[in-house]
Amino acid sequence: MSIETGTPFTADTPILETRDICKVFGALSANRNISIRLMRGEIVAFLGENGAGKSTLMNILFGLYRPTSGQILLDGEAVRFSSPREAIARGLGMVHQHFMLVPTLTVTQNIILGDEPVRLGQVLYKKARRRVVEISERYGLAVDPEARLEDLSVGMQQRVEILKALYRDARVLILDEPTAVLTPREVGELFAVLKRLAESGTSIIIITHKLEEVMDLSDRVYILRRGEMVGERKTREASASELANLMVGRDVVLQVERPALPPASAPVLAIEALSARNSRGLPALRNVGLSIGRGEILGIAGVEGNGQKELCETIAGLGPVDSGRILFKGEDVTHWSIRTRMRKGMGYVPQDRRGSALVLPFTVEENLVLGRTDGKPISRAGLLDFGAVRSRALHLMEDYDIRAAGPESRISTLSGGNQQKAILAREFSSSPDFLLVSQPTRGLDVGAIEYVYRRILELREKGAAILLVSMELEEIFALSDRIAVLHGGEVVFVTEAATTTETEVGEYMIRGRAAGVAS
Amino acid sequence: MKGRIEAGDDTTSTRLRMRVALTVVALLLTLSGTVLYLASYFWGGWLLAAAVLVVVVRLLSVRGREAGIAWLKAVLTRALIPVIGIGCALAIGAIIMLSTGYDPAASYAALFYGGLVRNWSVSVLNAVPLIFTGLAIAFAFQGGLFNIGAEGQYYIGVIAATWLGLRLDLPPQLGIPLIFLVGMVFGAALNAIPAVLKVRTGAHEVVTTMMFAYAMKTVAPIFIRANGGDPTHSSHPLTTDQISDKLFLPLFKTFLPNANYRLHVGILLAIVTALVVQFILKRTNLGYKIRAVGCNPVAARTQGISVAWITIASLLISGAIAGMAGVTQVLGLDHRMYGDLNAGYGWNGISIALLARNNPVAIVFTSILWGVLDAGGQYMARTAHTPNAIIEIIKSIILFLMLAETIYEYFGSKISAWRSFRRLQRKGGRS
Repeated sequence: MSIETGTPFTADTPILETRDICKVFGALSANRNISIRLMRGEIVAFLGENGAGKSTLMNILFGLYRPTSGQILLDGEAVRFSSPREAIARGLGMVHQHFMLVPTLTVTQNIILGDEPVRLGQVLYKKARRRVVEISERYGLAVDPEARLEDLSVGMQQRVEILKALYRDARVLILDEPTAVLTPREVGELFAVLKRLAESGTSIIIITHKLEEVMDLSDRVYILRRGEMVGERKTREASASELANLMVGRDVVLQVERPALPPASAPVLAIEALSARNSRGLPALRNVGLSIGRGEILGIAGVEGNGQKELCETIAGLGPVDSGRILFKGEDVTHWSIRTRMRKGMGYVPQDRRGSALVLPFTVEENLVLGRTDGKPISRAGLLDFGAVRSRALHLMEDYDIRAAGPESRISTLSGGNQQKAILAREFSSSPDFLLVSQPTRGLDVGAIEYVYRRILELREKGAAILLVSMELEEIFALSDRIAVLHGGEVVFVTEAATTTETEVGEYMIRGRAAGVAS
Repeated sequence: MKGRIEAGDDTTSTRLRMRVALTVVALLLTLSGTVLYLASYFWGGWLLAAAVLVVVVRLLSVRGREAGIAWLKAVLTRALIPVIGIGCALAIGAIIMLSTGYDPAASYAALFYGGLVRNWSVSVLNAVPLIFTGLAIAFAFQGGLFNIGAEGQYYIGVIAATWLGLRLDLPPQLGIPLIFLVGMVFGAALNAIPAVLKVRTGAHEVVTTMMFAYAMKTVAPIFIRANGGDPTHSSHPLTTDQISDKLFLPLFKTFLPNANYRLHVGILLAIVTALVVQFILKRTNLGYKIRAVGCNPVAARTQGISVAWITIASLLISGAIAGMAGVTQVLGLDHRMYGDLNAGYGWNGISIALLARNNPVAIVFTSILWGVLDAGGQYMARTAHTPNAIIEIIKSIILFLMLAETIYEYFGSKISAWRSFRRLQRKGGRS
């Protein structure tokens, strides 16, 4: 296929265009034949679930990754960026989800950092400040140029990030999940700013998985699923449910045998009117009520960042509870220590394997006894019994098919799947009556996923109550008996898994209670 | 069939008996060799060499020839890194001496003759407090804490020992252990407030323990003044009275007549403490938890380990070990508290812990190296007239080279982390 380059610039020439971009990581293709066009002054949204390939595409545009094949055209001219620096020089600006700012510097210092106006080795701070003020006035991005960054709210910090891009004459602004960290009011302000920017000719790309934002803000929307472009719509002409269908899709990869069990009697775990705040002090869980019975898997569906983290932390005892109760086998465990919860039969498989489940510099056998070293048989009179540690490790490694060079090899040398098996082995070995699993298969290959599913279902058959938190709808449907949807920190929908569809759950995930009203 | 099994049992049991015998022999050789060598009976070195030989033989019989040799190679390679580091530092030191007009050959001859032979006992005496403070800092490091104020805990150990030594009228069998106990409790108590502040408010232990160290330095002259330090008396204005001679630590001289008259058994105590610290960290439930919290507090907490209690325990034990340094120094060598002591054992302990990578056994050797450089440096200054400052330069270069290695490792781990991140991406394709 021949691609013409150097097309003469006309009003119809897209400012940014990609042609058949492919990106392959090993066996996985993160992007397949992605072609997009971005016109001047246009706001385009990229909609897709986690893992759909949105961020990969943006990282390719921004010069962080090289595409395996395909072409990027800027003003109709083929370009190749080998670093973000080159992309910035050509007028691209990116606002990352996690800001790249220095908290102790002022707004102006942050904006000019790396691109300071210099004369004779002196930074022309006043000149820079004038320019910052001028830009912020021109685009209506009011911010105090002398404020220290750490004193600013997150919304203001994001504004500084946008100013940083504009200061470098960005004509294309890419925002990665810009609303994830904002309060609703800040979201409104951000959208107003972005619309003003677009009116003055800046082209904007926002990456999001929130449907209402697409509908509110964008002119056009591209929908990605599993690395492929599955649709392009003018926002005005699209309906929310159509976009939701495109985004979630209906292809189920994994089918697992899930024998029916007799209906549960008294709940093993009951959550009553639970409210909690996130690390920024904003309400993250509102009045959540759930109950899980013996031999039941309750799947918590929801788009990431809707309170899943706080739900897990409060149940595991890691985070504070504002109000409400957690009952385990009839006992109020809301204020129990993590240790007591574990002892009484509550298990937790956290989402972040390497960060919060494993001690990476430790060996496999040391990790398998983490938190379980008190008392016999692992320790006696305060001394560790290495024989017991070893035999436990060998036994679990065989039972759970943990593939490692030996119990003495470092856990960090294991593959993600084997690390996860080790975590499951550790939790399941205490035969918990209740298990909280969060994102148990993130980053695992299909074989490992199948294994993890099988183990979780086995535990269910033994009569444990299981709360499964996952961002993957397929996973929720593959495992759950009942499904609850978390949206904005509230449980907006609870249903039997057998009586619902992915489309219906997807609607609730994206639109919250509004989904029920519309349909 | 049956006979064969019994024969097999028989050979395994004789083999087991032989291994036990070899272990006992190796232990006896190591013990006697160490004591003799430390007391300047240098032929003790032959016993140590024999002990090493026995250990190697035992190792080969246990692990099998090939695995044993591989293990030995790994150990030697690891030992090679510090040897190269020290060699490079000495070479750079030689260049500095040449460029400033001193004779490196004569200086180094004096340095090593002084440090390793002539004044070996001084080297050993220098090493004693450093082993304790190094262990204290390393212990906290293992729990992810930086007890930078070991100097303060050393001071309070000195104060406790002097105070009790001046007043206690007990036989040494009771008095010495009691003083050690009190010194350790005081050292731990000094770290109690930083520990609680850390757990309650997150106040960083580097700041709080260091502030306590300076506070102790200020308290010291007041204590000395109250316990005999008489400013009107010109000869010893800044020392306390001497403690009761019943409470002095035993001297090597009492059982090895040729040993130096000042050499006390504190070094043996220090070595035993190092082994105990190693045992606590590697073999006990508490040590396991401390290391887990040190490596990944989030994972430890998620698995129900109380990070707060482990933090408190690490800092208190660390303070107690640093307190032992002060007690040993008073009971063994000084027999009083000196006000103008600028030894900086606490600060030097940080270098020692860093150099030894928090490995208790390595701390013993590193401290002795530091002791040798100090003692040899003084001898070199006296006999070859090369300024002692060169020793400080060499020490800094050794530290720098060793830390450069950790810097290299740091970047190495960053690169491997990045690689595993890429691997994860390739597998999971996260958006």
